[in-house]
Amino acid sequence: MKKRHSGLIDFFALYLPLGVILLFLLFPFYWTFVTSIKPKSELYGSVVTYWPQNVVFDSYHKLFVDFNFIKPMGNSLLVAGVTTLVSLLVSMLAAYAFSRFRFPGRKIFMIMFLTNNMFPTVLLLIPLYSIMRSMGILYTPIALILSYTTFTIPFSVWLLNGYLNDLPKSLEEAAMVDGASRSQAFLRIIFPVLIPCLVATGAYIFMTSWNEYTFAVLFTNETSRTIPVALKNLIGQLGVQWDLLTAGGIITIIPVCIMFFFAQKRLVAGLTAGAVKG
Amino acid sequence: MSGCKKALTMILAFALSITTLAGCQSGSQSISSAAKSESPNQPIVLKHWFWPDSDMHTQVMQSMVDDFNATNGKNIKVELEIHPWDGGQYSQDLFTAAMGGGAPDTAGFKLTSTPLFTANHLLEPLDSYIDSWEDKDDIQDTLYKTLRSVTKDDNLYLMPWNTQILYVYYRPSMFQAAGIDIPKTYEEFLQDCRKLTRDTNGDGKTDVYGYGIRGSKGGQEPWGSFIYARGGSFDNLTSDASIQGMQDFIDLFQDGCAPPSAPNDGFNEIIANFQSGLTAMTIQHIGTSVNMVEKFGDDVGAFAFPDSPQGRWTSMGDTETVMFSSSKNKEAAFEWMSYLATGAGQKTWCVKTGNVPVSKTVQQMPEIQNNRFMKISIEGAPFAGILPVLDTTTDWINNTWPATIQAALLGKITAKEAMEQLDKALYSK
Amino acid sequence: MKKEKLYIWPYLLIAPALFIVAAVVFVPVANAILMSFQSYDLRRPREIVFIGLANYIEVFHDPIFWGSLLRTALWVIFGVGFQFLFGFILANFLNKSFKGRGIIRSVSLIPWVTPGVLIGLMWRWIYDGSYGVLNDLLKKVGLIDMPIPFLAQESTVMPSVIVTIIWQGIPFFALMLLAGLQGVPAELYEAADIDGANGAQKLFRITIPSIKNTIFVTTLLRIIWVANSVDVIFSMTGGGPAYASQTLSVYIFNKANSLNLGYSSTMSLLLTLLLLVVAVPYLKSMFRNQEG
Repeated sequence: MKKRHSGLIDFFALYLPLGVILLFLLFPFYWTFVTSIKPKSELYGSVVTYWPQNVVFDSYHKLFVDFNFIKPMGNSLLVAGVTTLVSLLVSMLAAYAFSRFRFPGRKIFMIMFLTNNMFPTVLLLIPLYSIMRSMGILYTPIALILSYTTFTIPFSVWLLNGYLNDLPKSLEEAAMVDGASRSQAFLRIIFPVLIPCLVATGAYIFMTSWNEYTFAVLFTNETSRTIPVALKNLIGQLGVQWDLLTAGGIITIIPVCIMFFFAQKRLVAGLTAGAVKG
Repeated sequence: MSGCKKALTMILAFALSITTLAGCQSGSQSISSAAKSESPNQPIVLKHWFWPDSDMHTQVMQSMVDDFNATNGKNIKVELEIHPWDGGQYSQDLFTAAMGGGAPDTAGFKLTSTPLFTANHLLEPLDSYIDSWEDKDDIQDTLYKTLRSVTKDDNLYLMPWNTQILYVYYRPSMFQAAGIDIPKTYEEFLQDCRKLTRDTNGDGKTDVYGYGIRGSKGGQEPWGSFIYARGGSFDNLTSDASIQGMQDFIDLFQDGCAPPSAPNDGFNEIIANFQSGLTAMTIQHIGTSVNMVEKFGDDVGAFAFPDSPQGRWTSMGDTETVMFSSSKNKEAAFEWMSYLATGAGQKTWCVKTGNVPVSKTVQQMPEIQNNRFMKISIEGAPFAGILPVLDTTTDWINNTWPATIQAALLGKITAKEAMEQLDKALYSK
Repeated sequence: MKKEKLYIWPYLLIAPALFIVAAVVFVPVANAILMSFQSYDLRRPREIVFIGLANYIEVFHDPIFWGSLLRTALWVIFGVGFQFLFGFILANFLNKSFKGRGIIRSVSLIPWVTPGVLIGLMWRWIYDGSYGVLNDLLKKVGLIDMPIPFLAQESTVMPSVIVTIIWQGIPFFALMLLAGLQGVPAELYEAADIDGANGAQKLFRITIPSIKNTIFVTTLLRIIWVANSVDVIFSMTGGGPAYASQTLSVYIFNKANSLNLGYSSTMSLLLTLLLLVVAVPYLKSMFRNQEG
């Protein structure tokens, strides 16, 4: 990347389109935030206010003090965290096998994984509930971890397989010619290069488990409730408690963004000079 | 070295899945053993499913549970399990849990889903408990009758808890500006919808709409009042009278007396439209009255859906409790249900949340009698009714009604076609 | 020695993943397949019998099914298409180095982090025909005179929900493609610079070919995901007005909710088959590339 653009071109080629996309992505978030600090009287006002005339943080106070929102957050974090670790590990192994070995049944297995997520989950709820119950893990975090692992493995395997296929085989073949075993080659050569992809896939698994509602509402009880269920409890027959719901949304979003801020530092090129040839 | 590491990770992965399964095994054992070893000094634990309509409702309910646990004297301990209402998805969640073997002992319930639950033998008939219940006569006989009518087998599965009678909310200041009074008849009501629709600032655009139509899910309740006012009924949706009622409803929208967003308007929208002054009237029940008064003070009023020579009907919203046939402590469960129906729970709930009590004693209490919205609700009770409860009803409410009404409002089908489709979906297999 | 090992290793490696997935979904899926051949309506449990292909025949004569299928196609093509386009652009920006990149990277994930519970409600509120902020903005800019009830008209409802799903899906592509871009060796670009290649040439000759597999896989997975997504449409319109925004997955969801499980299983299987058909060209070219 040589510096040959003038500032003006930079602006039109980079900052302007980036700004437009970001505006589109972030406006609803801004709107959520503004809603969370609006007093009730302004929510249903006939004039739309873009910044509240009176800023109130009552809803945040209420969420933490009366609502004990920390608990579902802790549950969500536990479930999403463990799911990410298990699913990522298991998927990485399978993806490596699919990408680097040619063995009978490979295509069938890959297609099976793919089909798994084509089928709508609504229809699986009653039997899944029975399975969780007969295993005795209903209402424990394990029920959700198991379900989320099951439903994130297939996509993760495919994603990682895609990334691995983009990495030239010559990478580890060179190392194996030099006498390293396949597993050594994997750990020393492939794994470091794969880290950005693992971060991305991990983020996919984490988000999916963090935001899932359908399983969560059935497989948890008061003690194991996760965030989406806690938020949905704020929508009753008497309408939406906008202040609490939006505040809850903001509180859900921010820690994940902070976590990702640190994780994204790993999202840098792992391939070093001269590692690739054809 | 790294080979070892890899083997280790593999083992770890296997171990994880195995411990998961093992954990399950031991978990189920501990549950079943807990059920067996119920010694006399162990409390009888009841699980009760409850959906909150606001966080205040949760707090009130929790205080009732605490009160019951402290005062029942029979060592019964109710544990509340809060499940989201989720636009009515609550009933499906309850069904899924019950079919999967995880039913609670008791639960808050809506009568429309009764056939689904009884067809799968999930609910316990309550007749034997109610017959020997001392407070039996504290609840109107007609209410029992209504609740009994929702199943064909003549059993009573539903314990009354509270009701919500729909009525019309209106803005007195807008009525004044339009120079009208509360409508006495249905015809007047329709005319008033037109009179109230006004362009207040002279820019050629409507600023206030006469009536806020609910065109998406849940709108069938206020809609029913129009059908009956013309002499129609749910039993005969394709009669000329029913079709005329439907036509009135469509005309209101197509004449511009309701906001253009009406086909997709649900609860949130009709309330927000009313609260922001976009609509002059809308139909809802007492549950929203607290917010209305908070917003408008005296500039909000209510009247029962006006009478008409051909007929009068309003929707009775309902909340019952049910007992599941899988419950191991049925006597205790009934104790708790009766606490909610006629005991201290009834009073606390209705006074604090503003729902209409089912207990005659509680109805007479000054806290209830002095509430102006409660008065209008009770005024509507004699002509309040429910939709026919068939096994098709839930699907009809959730899917057929909104889609058909939306098509009719948007002029894709005529009133007659709409009523034929609604009739077919409700009554044919 | 080594050859034998090769035969065991791949199976051992996929075993944990396969085991977990099979243990959980095998029974429920088999059950769903069976239900599609039955009059499996839990509202009438006593009437459940095997009816052969009757459900399938009924589906083929169901105009709502065909309408929903058409809308699913629009939903997927426009939804995934624009998600990819914007996601790809964003990924390329986020791959450049500039000040505050870390923050921009993490905030651009926000739509993806936003709880699904909130997405539908917030967007419904934004589109609201009376005081939605979108109408307010359009009015302020002077583009419209009267507010548009976006979600209550047949002509605007589908584009409106598609915009929401695009919004929600951009971060997925941005992140996944960004990760893929990390594997592209900088030397390739440097060599191209020396050859005097322009931006477009670098894009089509280097960037896209280098992350070809990633692009393949992410779009395929996203097609499946979007085709199956229910909650955005369900909470924004419930499929209305008058089915105008009902996709197949929403129809399946609605049918399953009214406990007509046989019929919805049938539609689910058809949807799965259809997605497989869509996936076939993908799979073929992918497998071909690999064997080559």
